[in-house]
Amino acid sequence: MRIDAYITEYAKKTPQSISLEEGKSSISYSCLDDDINAIASSLMDFNHCRFAILAESGMLYVKVLMAVYRSANIAIPLPIEFPKFSIEKILNAAHVNNIIATDTQYSKFGEDFFERFGTVIIISSSDFGKILHKKIETEKNNPELRLVLYTSGTTGTPKGVMLSDRNLAANAESIIKVLRITSRDKGALVISPHHAFGNSIINSHLVAGGSVRIGNMNFIDSAFNLIGSDVSIFYGVPSTYRILLRYPDRFKKAFSSVRTAASAGGGMDQAIVKDIRGLVPSLEILPMYGQTEATARLAYLPAEDVDEFVDTIGKAISGVILDVFDSEYKPAKPNITGELVATGDNIMLGYLDDEIATEKKIINGWLYTGDLAQKLPNGYIRLLGRKDDLIKIGDHRVNPREIERSIEENNEVSKVFVVPVHHELMGTAISLMVMPATGTEIEKLFAFCRKSLPGYLCPREILFIDHLPLSENGKISNRSIIEEYQHVKASM
Amino acid sequence: MEQIKNDIVDYLKANSFMDNNSSLKDNDSLTQNGIIDSIGLLELMDYICEKYSIEIPEDMLTPENFDSLQGITNMITKLAK
Repeated sequence: MRIDAYITEYAKKTPQSISLEEGKSSISYSCLDDDINAIASSLMDFNHCRFAILAESGMLYVKVLMAVYRSANIAIPLPIEFPKFSIEKILNAAHVNNIIATDTQYSKFGEDFFERFGTVIIISSSDFGKILHKKIETEKNNPELRLVLYTSGTTGTPKGVMLSDRNLAANAESIIKVLRITSRDKGALVISPHHAFGNSIINSHLVAGGSVRIGNMNFIDSAFNLIGSDVSIFYGVPSTYRILLRYPDRFKKAFSSVRTAASAGGGMDQAIVKDIRGLVPSLEILPMYGQTEATARLAYLPAEDVDEFVDTIGKAISGVILDVFDSEYKPAKPNITGELVATGDNIMLGYLDDEIATEKKIINGWLYTGDLAQKLPNGYIRLLGRKDDLIKIGDHRVNPREIERSIEENNEVSKVFVVPVHHELMGTAISLMVMPATGTEIEKLFAFCRKSLPGYLCPREILFIDHLPLSENGKISNRSIIEEYQHVKASM
Repeated sequence: MEQIKNDIVDYLKANSFMDNNSSLKDNDSLTQNGIIDSIGLLELMDYICEKYSIEIPEDMLTPENFDSLQGITNMITKLAK
């Protein structure tokens, strides 16, 4: 069933129930359904065509997205927080002829930007479809395609993940089960809705007949007010929690009425869990793991195991099978490192207009996540870094995450990051960026490395940094570490 | 006032939130123009607290005080008194 069809169903069953909230306004299922129809009416003569959506997070974005679904077209939401050239890169890759933009984005991007499109529709909260141009072109698309989500990918080339109605509904149903979402739940959406995680919050709460409160994390005061406004499930990436935890008093107060703090988009660490536990002991912490290629979610860590197993991703969500395969595509035994693979109704159709990349990613029905993993004896899965994070140091293939872990576990440091650097003889050597703790001494770190690591892994230099080397979407990868290193070097 | 405003612009440029040649009007939204995000705002706050030796009360962390050059300048002037 299409996601927007659930809204129609609730518009009949519980027309007065609130579906979305934003600031001081809210909208019932019945009014939401009417607004979707109004926007969809200008899209009905397009036949399964690609529509880029350029809209800031908010109720209007959800209405436009659902209207594209309702008119049986294909939605391609653009990540508006990216710089203009990244968005242009996505547009070039997506071969998209039609765009729907909010009036805010239209004036921000400027008239010229929109000249490349055959069809341009401008939407505002008072006008559901001012058509600037209209040119209907016949498109040949995968018949099941409904939504394309772009991942920047560690290589920097945007890849469009193709998702179907079945993908979206299946993953929403799985998430509803994991989080026990009902029509009484109100989810907080403070992260971008244009990516898999945010999109899944909208889908799962609307499919359950519940509501979503939309806001952002820009201003702490409004973020805490949002959390304190009867939200039952809060969703954040780990950095969302790090930011909120800087205000322990407000955190304690705002989260006292929240049932579950869910996370995805990166691993929760022990420090975050400890801080939350200390402030709001009754709050359920639910870390989840996933990928855009799997619509959103693949695994979750049951709340009762968070303290003991926070360094794992837990187990598969319902409807998904996870395994760890060795290099011969066969299941690996527990405690043996291989690649995490997944299968289920949430696995993408493929990458948009890129059959070669699709064939590498989905083999015999299994999605190869690119994450190195081990099965624990209890069935939980521990991640060991990205497969493509492996670097060659002096012609040895090494996993920088393993080196970092070994240094962290044996020294007085807070965080260690391995940076591959050019070396005249070895080709590549490593440097370390270290977030110091009390008692961190550079000499001791050098001594440990010299003593405990093979010679080729002895760092060329050790630099102190005071913040995590996060990428623009809040993740740590070789790329973000290298960029931070270049930044540090440039400012020395 | 002008001095504070220039300091903030210099900070934004130095920390690569802003292009060197882009111009910013006093009331332009920093968040909506993609100049700064939530993490950037926290860093900016730390910078302001240190530079002007002020503490910013949590209830002042609002768009009125933080989303534009003018708002930030007014807030610093008020707190630095």
